[in-house]
Amino acid sequence: MSTLTAGTPAATVTAGTRTSWAAVLTLARFETRLLLLRAPVLVAFAVYLGWTVWRTRTSWDGFPALQDADRATQGAPLLVGLAVLLCANQAVLRSRRYDTDRHLAVLVVQPWRRTAAHLLSVAAVALLTGVCVAGQFTWEALKPGAVGQGSPGELLVGPLCVLLFGAAGVLLARLVPSAFAAPLLIVLCLFFALLAPMASDEDSAARWLSPVVEESGPHPLPSELLGRPAAWHALYLAGLALSVALTAVLLSGAGRLRSLRAACAGAVLLTLVGAVAQSQGVPRETTEARTRYSVTPEKEQRCAERDATTYCAFPEWGARTDDWDRVLDGVRSLAGGAAQDRPLVVRQRVEARYGLAGDAAIDPATRPGEITVGTSWGGNRAPEFAVAVAGVLVAGTEAKAGGMCDGRMVTVMWLALADRPDPMADLRRVRLDDSDAGSAVVLSRTNPLSMTAAQTEVVRELLLRPKDGTAAKVRAHWAELTAPKVTTDRVARLLGLDEPEARDECL
Amino acid sequence: MTPTVSASGLSLRYGGTRALDDVSLRLSAGVTGLLGPNGAGKTTLLRVLATAVPADRGAFTVLGHDPGTSRGRQEVRRHLGYLPQTPGFHPDFTPFEFVDYVAILKELTDRAARHREVRRVLDEAGLDGVRGKRIRKLSGGMRQRVALAAALVGDPAFLVLDEPTVGLDPEQRMRFRELIARAGEGRTVLLSTHQTEDVAMLCHRVVVLAGGTVRFDGTPAELTARAAGRVWSSAERDPGAKAGWRTGLGTFRNVGDPPVGADLLEPTLEDGYLLTLDGLDGVDTEVAA
Amino acid sequence: MPVRAIDPALLRPAVRTMPWRAIGAAGALGLLLAAVPRLMGEEADARLALDALRASAVTFALGAAFVLDDPARHTTAAVPTRRAVRHGLRVLLVASVAAVWWTAALLLVPEAVRPPAVGITVEAATALTLALSGAAFAIHRGDGARPGRAVAAFLLTLAVLGPLLTPGSWALFVPPDDPRWAAAHGRWAVLLCAEVVVGAVCAAEPGRRLTPRGLRSPSGTSGPSRA
Repeated sequence: MSTLTAGTPAATVTAGTRTSWAAVLTLARFETRLLLLRAPVLVAFAVYLGWTVWRTRTSWDGFPALQDADRATQGAPLLVGLAVLLCANQAVLRSRRYDTDRHLAVLVVQPWRRTAAHLLSVAAVALLTGVCVAGQFTWEALKPGAVGQGSPGELLVGPLCVLLFGAAGVLLARLVPSAFAAPLLIVLCLFFALLAPMASDEDSAARWLSPVVEESGPHPLPSELLGRPAAWHALYLAGLALSVALTAVLLSGAGRLRSLRAACAGAVLLTLVGAVAQSQGVPRETTEARTRYSVTPEKEQRCAERDATTYCAFPEWGARTDDWDRVLDGVRSLAGGAAQDRPLVVRQRVEARYGLAGDAAIDPATRPGEITVGTSWGGNRAPEFAVAVAGVLVAGTEAKAGGMCDGRMVTVMWLALADRPDPMADLRRVRLDDSDAGSAVVLSRTNPLSMTAAQTEVVRELLLRPKDGTAAKVRAHWAELTAPKVTTDRVARLLGLDEPEARDECL
Repeated sequence: MTPTVSASGLSLRYGGTRALDDVSLRLSAGVTGLLGPNGAGKTTLLRVLATAVPADRGAFTVLGHDPGTSRGRQEVRRHLGYLPQTPGFHPDFTPFEFVDYVAILKELTDRAARHREVRRVLDEAGLDGVRGKRIRKLSGGMRQRVALAAALVGDPAFLVLDEPTVGLDPEQRMRFRELIARAGEGRTVLLSTHQTEDVAMLCHRVVVLAGGTVRFDGTPAELTARAAGRVWSSAERDPGAKAGWRTGLGTFRNVGDPPVGADLLEPTLEDGYLLTLDGLDGVDTEVAA
Repeated sequence: MPVRAIDPALLRPAVRTMPWRAIGAAGALGLLLAAVPRLMGEEADARLALDALRASAVTFALGAAFVLDDPARHTTAAVPTRRAVRHGLRVLLVASVAAVWWTAALLLVPEAVRPPAVGITVEAATALTLALSGAAFAIHRGDGARPGRAVAAFLLTLAVLGPLLTPGSWALFVPPDDPRWAAAHGRWAVLLCAEVVVGAVCAAEPGRRLTPRGLRSPSGTSGPSRA
């Protein structure tokens, strides 16, 4: 709100100016306290904080990409914003409601300074929201699995929305001095907020006019590929909030002050600059970079060697290598034959050509020994990666593993899951229908695999047995277990089990 | 003579505050003044007696009806006029419309008779000149008269007036006193006030309330008599006085226990009131000079 | 004798003391919201129509929250006409306006996308009753002259948080094609009944304070002689 203070008009610069602004600050402190103690604001903060804490505990399974985590701080502060809109509006109308306007109108602190104090109290709540946003983001950033980097522009959206909504509440009170205007405006805002996502598509420039533009997909993109005009949008919001705030001040009797009028015009200009700049769509360089990252990831990546494995990741994901290595090591240690020390390449891949919300599948890698890993991690992603590793170890390439429809699937699944802390739970997690019986699709970052009911039965049996006994049998019969066209019955016998009773037909 | 109102053991708590503590009263025809410092429980007592809030404990009857029961409360309200401390109005109504509205709420169903009665009270309150003006355009004193007219409509036997003269100029206050005095002829009027002159001029009886309990109940003369021989004049502020203030004559008027040989003055009701409050915890005995 | 207490002459001043500006503004905005699906033409779907009607119902309820605001409440605190009658008259007035208004709002939504009328009407009635019984409750508890502002804030808070925080096992805000539509509207009806009961209880004037002490010693009411 420094523009407000800077807007002290030359005409009123007298010996009393400093005292007068001190009075405004004191009044602002007083109003802030009242505002923060209003029931809607308290409830909004309680729900906002409760929901944020509850969600951040487990968000992104503990492996956030910070370029996504910054955007996740934007939606919930709207709740606080709406409460502040309502309460700031009622606070401005308070003096009118209790008929003290006539009394207050002749006090030293003029009405427009009182409006300024109300706006400052809104700014204080916005600042508090900023602290909450910073806390949420810091929490994400401090998680051991965090990668990437956040954008200040995205982080500013939450607090700026609170500022904008609060200023709108103050302005509304100056425009329509009745208690029912603000609630009605809020319903209108909510309705059109619900409506907006329906009406706007990805390419529409108009969607950036709404305060919060949420875009999220299941797979984080490298920061370079986001293509979101975050800084321009923050500028647009700040300009809009300032324009609204200064208009409210001008309408409360400061219309004569030339500097304030100039400041208001400046704020409108700022808004326009932000609005135009943010609506330029995704820049061409970003589109090109998206294609580059999607088609030829190896040109953008840095690689690291761990034993016989090479890990190639986008620069921001280098820190994930150890997590991947741990899973890969677990799978490899159970394999037999040459698979134990066969050179593998783990390559991170991303499909960025369809934008942030895109959820396009990635084609399986065709080069021998190359395993695809996505940009998200934690939760189901780890066992899915294990399945991909086991598939490559057994079938040679990801592409071949995808088309697998024979007894090798048992070996793949056992290799992938046996070393996991809770194999049965992971078995359910990697299967699309979360089942542990019957046939099912098994998820992976590239094409899915499929298990027959018989294979599921065998894998379940194996996972219930001690790992070491089965590991020895797997090593002993490695060649036969990984031979194409081996039947599930044969695999079961080799691993010391009865033939499964369930059907053995691929989906 | 049968008292109009008889209350015993009225108690009421607001949260942790004891607003009324075992108040017993008997009121009969004439104007009774209720004096007390701010926060003494005057308004609460009036609201209880006007059946606007129920008491926690204790009971009272008005003209023999028990407002504790639903039917009794209706009967009490048929004989009650109440002027609250901060009366509110529908600003778009004229005084006539507003008082007529209250008269309808007081179950005056016959239209012609009701309008006659409304005109009568408006005349009585000195509002006949502004009968058709909107209330929002009336001055504070005029609005106060509208509230008094609303209380008087229906000729209630029991009139509860909560600080009716506050905010009025001396002339308006004189008029109000006249009105109240006239209302007190044949009716029971309970008048809460900060103005000891109001009590001295109007009331045949005075009750002093402080800290939610009755500290004095008697005639104004008896209250004044409490200060007999305890008011004196001195050239300087007397440190031994319970209260003292500089008068227009340049001397100090002291209330308390006078030193030997002091220049004793004639006590007023206010002196008696101050001495009654003196020594009560948490009572502010400061007086505006 | 409650019959004696209701005077037809009361109707006219009661109509005049209603906050028509709030109701009018809310009603107009509500109709505007209800008209959105029709204005959007082809693009409108059932979900949008449902949202529009829900927003519209909340809007009208926000206006109705001010119905019991009465600046002269203290001046008319001790009249023999019961509070139930005074409140009842206002509620009746707003309810009759609401009925006409809601019919118009429903008819504004194109029939093709209009949600089942009974279900959505129960929702709207619940919102309206919440506003009215909330105001009655505020007066019952706080004895303020103008509860509308606080009730509107409360209603709005509930309208924002309700859809966010309603547990899935007690779903209320479901689309018409949801299999839980019928069950959800059973719940809406339960809420509506509960609000009506609260409103009715709060319409009565408190005869005795229901403090624990007051409950324990009803003998405290035995007063002096009723001579």
